[in-house]
Amino acid sequence: MIGRITTQMTAQNLLANINQSLDRISTTQQELSTGKRINQPSDDPYGTSLALQLNGQLSDLTSYSNNITDGTGWAQTSDSALSDMTNAVQRIRELVVQAANGTQSQTDMSADASEVNQLIDQIKQDANSQYNGQYVFSGSATSTQPYQAGSNDAYAGNTGSVTRTIGPGTSISVNADVSSVLGTGQTTAGQPAGDGKLLNTLRNIVNDMQSGNSTALSGNDLSQLDTNLNSLTGLSASVGATVDRLQMASSRIQALQASDTQVLSNTQDADMAQTEINFSTQQAALTAALQAGAHIVQQSLMDFLSG
Amino acid sequence: MTIPSYSGLQTALSGLEAAQAAIDTTGQNIANANTPGYSRQSVNMTERDPLTIQSLSNVTGAGSQLGLGVDITSIGRIRDQFLDVQYRGQNTQTSGDNTASTLLGQVQAALAEPGSSGLSSSLTQFWQSWNALGNTPTGQGGAGALQAVIGAGQTVATSLNTLGNELTTLQSQITDQYNTLTDPNSGPIANDANQIASLNTQIAQAQVNGLNPNTLLDQRDQLIDDLSQYSNVNVTTQPNGMVNVSFGNAAKAAAGGTTDAAPLVNGGTVDLTDNLTDANLSGSGGTVGALLGLYDSTTSTGQVAGYLTTLNNITSSLVTTVNNAIASADSSGATAPPFFDPTGTTATTIAVNPALSTATAPYTAAEAQAAGGLSGGAADSAYNAFVTQIGSNVRSTQNAQQTAQSLLTAISNQRQSVSGVSLDEEMTNLITYQQAYQASARVMNAINETLNTLINQVGAGI
Repeated sequence: MIGRITTQMTAQNLLANINQSLDRISTTQQELSTGKRINQPSDDPYGTSLALQLNGQLSDLTSYSNNITDGTGWAQTSDSALSDMTNAVQRIRELVVQAANGTQSQTDMSADASEVNQLIDQIKQDANSQYNGQYVFSGSATSTQPYQAGSNDAYAGNTGSVTRTIGPGTSISVNADVSSVLGTGQTTAGQPAGDGKLLNTLRNIVNDMQSGNSTALSGNDLSQLDTNLNSLTGLSASVGATVDRLQMASSRIQALQASDTQVLSNTQDADMAQTEINFSTQQAALTAALQAGAHIVQQSLMDFLSG
Repeated sequence: MTIPSYSGLQTALSGLEAAQAAIDTTGQNIANANTPGYSRQSVNMTERDPLTIQSLSNVTGAGSQLGLGVDITSIGRIRDQFLDVQYRGQNTQTSGDNTASTLLGQVQAALAEPGSSGLSSSLTQFWQSWNALGNTPTGQGGAGALQAVIGAGQTVATSLNTLGNELTTLQSQITDQYNTLTDPNSGPIANDANQIASLNTQIAQAQVNGLNPNTLLDQRDQLIDDLSQYSNVNVTTQPNGMVNVSFGNAAKAAAGGTTDAAPLVNGGTVDLTDNLTDANLSGSGGTVGALLGLYDSTTSTGQVAGYLTTLNNITSSLVTTVNNAIASADSSGATAPPFFDPTGTTATTIAVNPALSTATAPYTAAEAQAAGGLSGGAADSAYNAFVTQIGSNVRSTQNAQQTAQSLLTAISNQRQSVSGVSLDEEMTNLITYQQAYQASARVMNAINETLNTLINQVGAGI
């Protein structure tokens, strides 16, 4: 195609080729040193878009994972508090059954009554359990202590729910409404509140023990206590279910994290073996070009003319 | 009439002179082998008019013609004007692509994507911090989480501020560069045009005197080559040896056959006022055309201006969605303060609401969760698309630049093949002409000896 080959052409072509080689080597070197195939958006615009999206998704998954950890802690705190309460109520039931058969002396009954009173305090303390500085049983008013110690059984929290986002558009309520089981009890000591909830029942039991009313204990009190115990167990079971759900969500998110990380790595990371091979090939090409250049540029007809 | 006794000496002399001129020209070619813009020269020779001698042909009576040697008609440049046209067109394209690719590369570098220092990374941290605040609402532990949200928000705002400022700075850099190139007093375009005009005058003068001003022609061609990097050029040669050079859009029109009423260089005069205008240069090729395509300060348009607009839209959407998400999750009726200052809706002005204080715990868990729920939403995907768009633009410009560069090299090689100096060839010529010179000298010697015999030996006996 080109008839004459001039000295400048040879030199210019050689220079252009060496520059191209160097350019390729520098790109490969960048890939090797960063370990990434995409170092700027223009390296692969679509890949960049995918990488940014995946980074965002991974960050979301981390958030969900944090939320699940937090929610699990919350639900587990609730769970252990509720099982503690269940134990206390079962102990009270034993005392009520003993007192109900009418064979105990009034002294024994009074001792029972004071034990029940202490167990009531323990139940209220369980209801005041905290996770990460927040009351788990006061609805969404997490900085408010739900029950006061002593004879005041009023519930200070609300019935709002505490939710954690555990997936795209998926929220789960991690708190249990303990006031639906404990009730608001008696606002003033000695005054029956009549809501039939656990605290109300327990206060009635204490009253009946103190007055030695074994008929009431064996009748209304015991059946009421059984009803309350049932709802307490039910609440405990629902919290347990929440913990299970959170654990399932957690393992699903871990699987997603693994697959997203894999895809992200495939998208933006350099194939090291391939890149190393490319690098060696390019270096060999550059060396060859330089050697050829040294010969081409040096030689001319003058080298072969004598005189 | 017989053969003149001394004509052979003249013939040998013309051979000596021609060989010497050829050796000198070879020397000139070798000396300028690496001079930019140099076209190799060759000595054009013709046979000298012969002498008709009647007595040399007694048979026909018409006589014979005796050669009298060689004449040097001219020393000319070897150059292909069509390759010049192709080279300049490709040079315009290549410089335009170079400029665009370099400047767009700066936009891309300003993004710092993908990486841990880009806006995309600040945004994900921002959403995560809202999420953490959603887990630790008002009261205990909330102040630290809120401080983290404010910090992450400030990082997002700073990233956008930096990006906005870099784009604005780039725009003014582009304008500066354009103004420098098109400066009518000392700009390179004006400079080239003035030199071409002055060379035009000198060349016309030399041609009137019957000279072949190779050096001036080389210089003028080189200047037109140089001019072609700034924008399109179209060259029309005048009968007196001068050239008219059209520039910018006028050159594109002239290449299509439209007569340019006001060329940049018109013989010996230069017309800058009609040519260095926005209308003539906007949309043309070359560095200047590319600069105007990136940012035209007269109309405030161009690719970089478009990027800035997109970035401002992303910013405005981010500010609005975050503030709205907080406001709509506000169930208690207590008006939560906007997180971003609602007055700063451009990339350079976005800022976190300065009234926010960790002491007052302004956001409920629901509000924080609503803001955190914007993760992966409109702002992220708009920014993602923005990065992809810039990446694609840079990639296609870089590809165009590489193609243009290799085409330019190919055309430059073709031109070199015609006009460039080949040392091997010159060495061969040198030997050829040196031998010719020696042979002519030998002829002269032979004639001298012949005459010596004639003059000294023939009359010796008398």
